[in-house]
Amino acid sequence: MRSSWGGRLLAGVIGIYAFDKLWKMARFTYYGLLALQNRGQETAGIVTCHEDGLSEYKGRNTVDRVFLEEKLSSMRGWLAIGCVDAEVRHEESIQPVIVNKPVKLAFCMDGKALNWREVAAKEGVSAEGDVNVIAAILSKHIDKYGPLDGAVRLLEILKGGYCFVALTEKGEMIAARSPSGVKPLVIGSFGFDYGVVASESCAIDVIGADYKADVFPGEVYLFTPYSIEKARVQSDEVTYCSFEYVYLARPDSYINDISVYEVRMRIGEVLAEEHPVEGDVVIGVPETAIPFAMAYSNKTKIPIAMGFVRTGPHVRSAIKPTQFERLVGVQLKLNPIKNAIKGKRVILIDDSVVRGNTTKNTVTLMRNKLGVKEVHVRIGSPKIVSHCPFGVEVPPEDELIARHLTDEEVAAVVGADSFHWLSLNGLVKAIGLPRSMLCLGCFTSEYPSCLKI
Amino acid sequence: MVKVLLIGDASREHAIADAFVRSTHEPKLYAAMSRKNPGIARLCKRTGGDVAIGNIDDPNFVVRAALEFHVDFAFVGPEEPLFHGISDALEEAGVPCVGAKRNMALVEMSKAFMRRLMWKYKIPGRLRFKAFKSLEDAVAYVNEYAESVAIKPARQAGGKGVKVIADLQVYLSKEKREVKAEHVKTVYEKHMAVYDDIDDKVLIEERVEGPEYTLQAFTDGRTVLPLPAVQDNKNAYEMDIGPETGGMGSIAGPGWLLPFLTEEEYKQSVEIIQSVVEALWKETGVRYKGVISGQMMLTALWGPTIIEFYSRFGDPEACNVLPYMEADIVEISEAIIDERLNTIKVSFPDIATVVKAIAPKGYPDHRDLARGHPVFIDEEAIKKRGCKVYYGSLDERSDGTIVTAGSRIAEIVAAAPTIPEASEIAESCVQYVRLLDGWGVFHRSDIGSEVLLRKRIEQAQLIREIYRYRLSKGLIGRAIDWIPGRGKIEYEF
Repeated sequence: MRSSWGGRLLAGVIGIYAFDKLWKMARFTYYGLLALQNRGQETAGIVTCHEDGLSEYKGRNTVDRVFLEEKLSSMRGWLAIGCVDAEVRHEESIQPVIVNKPVKLAFCMDGKALNWREVAAKEGVSAEGDVNVIAAILSKHIDKYGPLDGAVRLLEILKGGYCFVALTEKGEMIAARSPSGVKPLVIGSFGFDYGVVASESCAIDVIGADYKADVFPGEVYLFTPYSIEKARVQSDEVTYCSFEYVYLARPDSYINDISVYEVRMRIGEVLAEEHPVEGDVVIGVPETAIPFAMAYSNKTKIPIAMGFVRTGPHVRSAIKPTQFERLVGVQLKLNPIKNAIKGKRVILIDDSVVRGNTTKNTVTLMRNKLGVKEVHVRIGSPKIVSHCPFGVEVPPEDELIARHLTDEEVAAVVGADSFHWLSLNGLVKAIGLPRSMLCLGCFTSEYPSCLKI
Repeated sequence: MVKVLLIGDASREHAIADAFVRSTHEPKLYAAMSRKNPGIARLCKRTGGDVAIGNIDDPNFVVRAALEFHVDFAFVGPEEPLFHGISDALEEAGVPCVGAKRNMALVEMSKAFMRRLMWKYKIPGRLRFKAFKSLEDAVAYVNEYAESVAIKPARQAGGKGVKVIADLQVYLSKEKREVKAEHVKTVYEKHMAVYDDIDDKVLIEERVEGPEYTLQAFTDGRTVLPLPAVQDNKNAYEMDIGPETGGMGSIAGPGWLLPFLTEEEYKQSVEIIQSVVEALWKETGVRYKGVISGQMMLTALWGPTIIEFYSRFGDPEACNVLPYMEADIVEISEAIIDERLNTIKVSFPDIATVVKAIAPKGYPDHRDLARGHPVFIDEEAIKKRGCKVYYGSLDERSDGTIVTAGSRIAEIVAAAPTIPEASEIAESCVQYVRLLDGWGVFHRSDIGSEVLLRKRIEQAQLIREIYRYRLSKGLIGRAIDWIPGRGKIEYEF
């Protein structure tokens, strides 16, 4: 998926719990992670649990390159957790991490706990990096209070927006979502055979299971060999990440029990209502912006066309670390189909603009080499003006084009006839939740109260 | 005065006992039980009856109890005594019996017999299947052919050992094939190892999906007297997650149907059961006298489809219908025995019912952990809320303490104008079933909820559209496939 978004997206987590020891879950986890690849492409890891304890298999790369068929086939264990991560981490911090004492467990998380250093100091835990520290605290808590209460206590003291999945050596699986609800987590099952939790419902679909429900903010699930128990930590304020709908999540997923695809289609409609323009053809920048473009076209009755063809493997170029790599990624993915747009007034729909240079590149190409008559750029996201405290990395504020230039100025910079963003109210309307239930921090610089520690 | 012997000791039998106690004929109730169910024992005592504790699968024990108590007839609750020929033995001893004879109970005991019967008589709602005697053949079949299948012990094994595998993603097929083959071995080595009363060992059936429901009926072998449709919930945990149980709770109504079942589908379901009862008569020349239940599913293949038969009431399903049945169970029993069930009418109030089972932690797969915990059930509090409670897998010891026996502890029954309302009332009573040693219990709060009900209705609508499409194309009871390299294959069901 291509985007002009310039940050890492953090992580995708999955946990699979078979009720019958006949199952080998490593490959299921692998395909679940493949479905979550959109959430991180730097590292991938799987830990399984079996009669002799935990087995791990991790590496630095995309899912299909980390795991080798032969080794995956021979990996035992009817319980498994896995993680894809967009963060470049130390070797010992590649997720899922394993803690040996006092309770041996594997742990992986998506999101950020903001006060992890303070909590670590209070608990007397020292380790390198947030994930290792939080895993170590969970291990201590489980030893002291048992798995369910231990996880509940962790949720009560850790502030921020995160989800985690943990697997103990004794065969218990814990899945939890922070009371703020910022990061998504869902639950599903396959007949009488296994339960599954994952960051996005697409992972549940891909392994042939049925999506059942959203894990509520503050909820903890404990799977044991003879029960599934649930507890819920009080949520003072639920603030779902609005950027999941704009860009992070896959369109075939449900986030907070809302279809991402439907939100993206509504975004396209709202864009058409807010910023209509005369044109001959609508084109969406693959792949996130395609539903925006389809809905824009449906609403305006301006035909949609296929604008670009990808070269090479599917890479989420936006999360590449350098500008050079991002541009290479974008250009390889954006070979335009000349005859779809030549001599036409083109409405180009994209998902977001951060620095502006990839958009400029595309518009220049369309004008100079393909001879389009006009280019009108519409962005299916409000202006990104601020950082994300929950781990979605935004470039420094002095690089953010929306923070410094007016729409007219952006149009001039990128070489478009007109340029418009989705309005903030438009996004809220498209998601369909009350504004108070959404974190819109990257668009407004106003953050949820869970940040106030 | 009528004297009745009830055989069985679970919640279902407690509900049957309760129905007898409400009879205007004021029968003296006796019970033969493997363990002393305190609820049933109390009802027997109240009517001036008595209980006998022994192995109810042993016809000698039951016949002895029947003769000792001088009962007029017997009523059999669970299936195992039927499989062991209890009805045959009682009748030989001169005690008439509501409960299928061994040959009739085969419809439940042998899943292969049931399928062969349905195929022989071309009864709608049948599935393609293969029955295996040899382990090697079954494993070879699984490795070579089976894709999405249900693997079952060929004999009813207390509801255990069934594995349904949807094998639709080719990239996960290898692991699933291994599980299927391993499970076939487990069925041979574990579930079927204790039975020597049947030749077939494992049954592999095509997998179907859709909403399930149970249709229970009385029959005298001539007339089938159906009861309202009930839906049980088999997954151990909420949102239909978790291993298979005997049933964590069930819903029925309002009235005869379920919110996701049409009148036409109900009628077709009744016709299937009638056809099977008639086929059994043609096969054996014996009348089926007792209770027969179709465990049904609405499938794309047929609409109403048989998953399994019960030669008895379902448990918990019995508890949805028996407490509210407007007919006298003594009269029904006598009509079954005399083969004049056509003279009996049953009606039901236009209400919805919800049953919630409460199980000790450890059920269903770690029953050793679930056993032996002392129980307290606050019956007064439950009654105050307008609910009924039926004692389940419990044992009353000689000192009066009641302990768990490993399965579901009790079932709470509530009635209200709608299913969600009944569910809420039942939910409020769950707290009154407690273990006194601190061991945990669990139940499913979602059974009968608005959310789950909506899911069932959506699923049924989806399936209904497919089978209606198949009906419009003349594809019911028929399937056409294209196998590349082999050509067109047509199956007639």
